[in-house]
Parts: sequence; structure tokens; C-alpha cells
Amino acid sequence: MELTQDEVLKILDLIEKSNFDYMQLQVGELKLTVSKGNYVPQSIAASDQPQPVAKPQTPAKESKPKEKTPAPKPKAAAKINVAGGVPINAPMVGTFYAAPEPGAAPFVKLGAKIDEETTVGLIEVMKVFNAVQSRVNGVIADVRVQNGQFVEYGQTLFVVKPETAAKKKSR
Amino acid sequence: MTVSRVFVANRGEIALRVINACRALGVETVAAYSEADKDSLPARAADRAVLIGPARAADSYLNIESIIAAAKKTKADALHPGYGFLAERPELAEACAKNRIKFIGPSAESIRQMGNKIVARSLAKKFGVPVGAGSEKIRNAKEAAKIAATIGYPVLIKAAAGGGGRGMKIVSAPRELQRSFETAAAEAGAAFGDPTLYLERYIANARHIEVQILGDGHGNVVHVGERDCSLQRRHQKVVEEAPAAALAPALRAEIQAAAVTIAKKSGYENAGTIEFILDQDAEKYYFLEMNTRIQVEHPVSEMISGMDLVQEQIRIAGGAKLSLTQAGIKFSGHAIECRINAESAAHGFRPSPGLISAWRPPIGENIRLDSHCYSGYRVPPYYDSLLAKLIVHGRNRIEAVGRMQQALENFHVAGIDTTIPFLRFVTQRLEYVKGDVNTRWLEALLAATPLGASEVESASA
Repeated sequence: MELTQDEVLKILDLIEKSNFDYMQLQVGELKLTVSKGNYVPQSIAASDQPQPVAKPQTPAKESKPKEKTPAPKPKAAAKINVAGGVPINAPMVGTFYAAPEPGAAPFVKLGAKIDEETTVGLIEVMKVFNAVQSRVNGVIADVRVQNGQFVEYGQTLFVVKPETAAKKKSR
Repeated sequence: MTVSRVFVANRGEIALRVINACRALGVETVAAYSEADKDSLPARAADRAVLIGPARAADSYLNIESIIAAAKKTKADALHPGYGFLAERPELAEACAKNRIKFIGPSAESIRQMGNKIVARSLAKKFGVPVGAGSEKIRNAKEAAKIAATIGYPVLIKAAAGGGGRGMKIVSAPRELQRSFETAAAEAGAAFGDPTLYLERYIANARHIEVQILGDGHGNVVHVGERDCSLQRRHQKVVEEAPAAALAPALRAEIQAAAVTIAKKSGYENAGTIEFILDQDAEKYYFLEMNTRIQVEHPVSEMISGMDLVQEQIRIAGGAKLSLTQAGIKFSGHAIECRINAESAAHGFRPSPGLISAWRPPIGENIRLDSHCYSGYRVPPYYDSLLAKLIVHGRNRIEAVGRMQQALENFHVAGIDTTIPFLRFVTQRLEYVKGDVNTRWLEALLAATPLGASEVESASA
């Protein structure tokens, strides 16, 4: 049996008021899924597929740009000590911009005082601009990136001399 | 004059699409590619490929001098700009003309004319096509307030040079006007180098309807039906359909005729799209703007008409007359296109470039895929995030919706995040299945339903 489009729409009208999150309608060759429920990032019906868990393969070493590392979030940036300073690392792969627009003054310069909220640059990836925040309180001790440079995920952009230590000294 | 070697000044799926159209016509191709696209499918598929510059688009795909030099060096007699990049820059069309390369698109004059939305609006008006209540160029917020009061709130502030929603603001009350005006002017100035603004009445329950037209430069203009592109996120189209199910037959015929009138009276040549806004409550339509290029969503029109629009573009550029008259263009069934992007919807549509470790698209009757991706392809981080366009055809809309749902269910990509799960979610919503949507529906759905990382997502993240 085949239903016309109008008949299918009538069925949908009937069920519209009923209480459901997810239903499937199958009439002849027509398979229709209707949902009022929440967003599911993975397919429910993809059970026949090996789950595309992006985790296991460490991105091949020989590949240059280390894009889309599905594993760790870059928030641990402040951990490693670089010559007594704290690095600000690129949170994503992309093109680094030191200033909000061409010709404008850079967000930060060598010796600039910054706090956790300071925007130190922009990274453009796929036409989307993302602000890079310092997440560290202190003074820019080293600039390791140039305007317009392509940066990899995790690459050190700046080194910051943390403020807390400096403060204690001055007191 | 016929075209014998086409220079493809674009990348990604549209470059491949143009190459395939050329091949079908027996025309040679030269693909332009940047350092980031060395191993791309279009660079390999073309008869020849030329490196035009570094990864950065400004130094490669947006560099007119490099592109013209490469086209001359490879003795191309025509150039296809695709969409995006330089497609609507009159300077490219002019540079082509100067170097005796046929630009596959309209004249520089047409591009310039339609590129200014205020000029385009007044042209449409002059041709007797309805334009929404609105203004000419406005100089300051004070003038805007005066005009807004006569149009009635809410109003829409738009950039004359606009595109992609930049410089566009909805103003719902007079007190917001000053600030919105200033922000819009600044945005427009930064994005287009032209801060000129104008006002339009804002239509709350609207559909975005656009008509595909073809003009051959011999006085023949036809339309290839209309499309409904009401599903948008941040003014970017997400799902497109043809025909527009919301249109009653009489209104459909009127809109199509209006589009042909604009193209004919403005002497338009090659493929173009006239965009309208449909007020669903008043059942009235208004001219919005014209796009002087082939559009991303052109396949849905091809699926219901059986025409190959890119091949038509190339034939027209070669001086041929249209292959069909209006009466010869027959429409059948319903087509839907989903844009599949390298983005994570669960993370605010964050871009997701990288290595595609598995690419298994659905295959089947009435399913078409326009894509440059494959297993092992590395999506570069330099360009936009479009990976593929999934297009299906059905005898009616419901059949097409069901087929699209199935196709999305059978589309498996690993290694990077894609919008496939998001598109499954959208196409399964009851309102979408019933066709009960407007231009605000998708944003409202997103506001009401958090897409944030669920358990499944965070387990693999």
C-alpha cells in the first residue's frame, strides 16, 4: 500500500498532539522519522558501523599541521615551564593575527602587562576568528609568533612571566 | 566563438563540479590550486593544474593578478569563478575581458549593478517588481529613525554592499536604533569597505524564496524554477529545497515571472539568482537582491529540471543560445540539499579541520553527492568548512524528506566532526517534516534545544 503525501501529512497532524519523542513511520518504501526529542550527536541507527571514535589513532607524526586532535583540551597550557615563564599555547590550528585588524596596534607587545582575561591574539580557522586568551596573570616575556603566521595546535605563542612571583618581590 | 579550455578559479566541491561539467562538454580544464590544495581532488582531476600561491586565500584564490597570469600562461580561453572568492568581484570580470579570456558569468557591469543592494532595489522597482517598504541610502541614525517610524517597527538595517549577514541588524524598538545603526555601519565598513546602510521592513513570518534564471545574451531569458532556502543559521543556508512548497501556484508563477523580468530588463547574461522574501501571513513577496553567480544550492534546481546549469553556463559563455525554451523546461518531483560542514554542532559549530580517516557517503538511486572529500583527505584549515552537498530527489516532498533522512543515516565520516548529526536532528523535526517553518525557525530551535556535548560526545571528545 502507498500513501499519498496528503495522507502522510494527515497522520502527522494526528500524532502532533500526542506525547512522543521519537517515532518511525514506514509505509511501503517510505521511511520517515519524526522527532521532538533532544539532539543526539551520534547516530542512533549507526549500530552496524564501527563507532567512529576518533580517539585511538594518535595523529600521524609525519603530518605537519596537528589539526583537530580529538583528545585533550588545551587548557593545561599553563603547566609547562618555559625558561622560568608560562607559555600561552595556541588552542587550535590556524592563522595567528596579532592585531584586531590590519594596520591596528597589536593586542599585546613584549613587556605588556596582562591578566587571565587579556586577549593576546586571534586565530583564524576556516573563516572563523577565535580570540586567544592569556589565562595567565603577568608580563609578556617573549613573543614567539608573528602576525599572519600559521600556527599548530599547542604551539607556544607567548611566554609570560607570572605576576604572582613579581608581586611578592616588590612587596 | 566557443570555449575550448576553461580555467577553474576556485577550489573544493565547486571546482570539481565545474571540471566535470567541462569534461561532459569535451572542454579541457586547468585547475588553480594553492599550496594547501596540492593533493586536492580538483587539482588531480583537471587536465592541468597550476599552483597560484600560498595557502592564504588573499595570496592565492583571491589574487586576481596571479589567477589571470596563470590562465594566460596555460592558454585558457575562458574562466569559471565558481562561487565565493572572486565570483562577484567585477574586477575579475574586467581583468578577464582585458586579457581576452571569457568570464563564465555576467558582465562586470551587471555584477557591479546588482552588487549594490540599493541600486538593485531601485532597478527592481523601476521594472515593476515589488520591493518591501524601505529606504534609499540613509546618512545617519536620525534619518533612520524618521524612516523607521513611517515603515513601522521592527525594521531591518542592511548594508548596501552586504552579504553573509554582516552589517545586518534587526531593530525592534526606536531606542535600539542609534546603537544598532552605528554597529551595522562599523561592521559594513570593516567587512566591505563601504558603511552605506539602508532600511527595510522586517517580516517576522517569512520564507526565503529564490528563482534560478539563465540568460544567453541573445535576448533569451528563462527561469529554472524556484528554491526555498528558509533554513538558515546566522544568515548561512543550511538546507535548501526545490520547488518551494509554501507557494500557491499563482504566486509561484508571479515570482518566476518577476525574476525573468529583472534579468531580461537588466540585460543579464549567464546564470543568476533573484532572491525574494515571502511574507507568509500576507501572501506577498518582495525583491531582496540578486546573486550574479552560480550558487551553492544550484543542484536542487537541476534535480527537478534535469538540466545541467554549469554546462549551460559554459555553453552560454561560448556564445550559444539557450538549449531549451521556457516551455521545454519541465519540472518533476521535489529535491532537498543538505550542506555538510566540518563543524561540531555540539561545540557551538566549532570548525573541525583535519584528517578524514573514513568517508563513507550514502549511495543510491535519487541520491547525489557533490564533494571533493575522500578517506585520507586532509581538510585544510584555511578555507570555508563545506565538505559536501548531499542532494536527494523524491516524487513529492515527503518522499524526499524520508530519503534525505535515510541518506544522512547512512553517511559515515570519521576523523573530524561534521554537521551530519545536526542535519539528522533538523530533518527529523516534526515541523520540518511537515514543512511548517520560516526563516527564524532554525535559530529558534537551536535556542530552545541545547546541542551541548552529551554523554556520547564527551566520551569521544
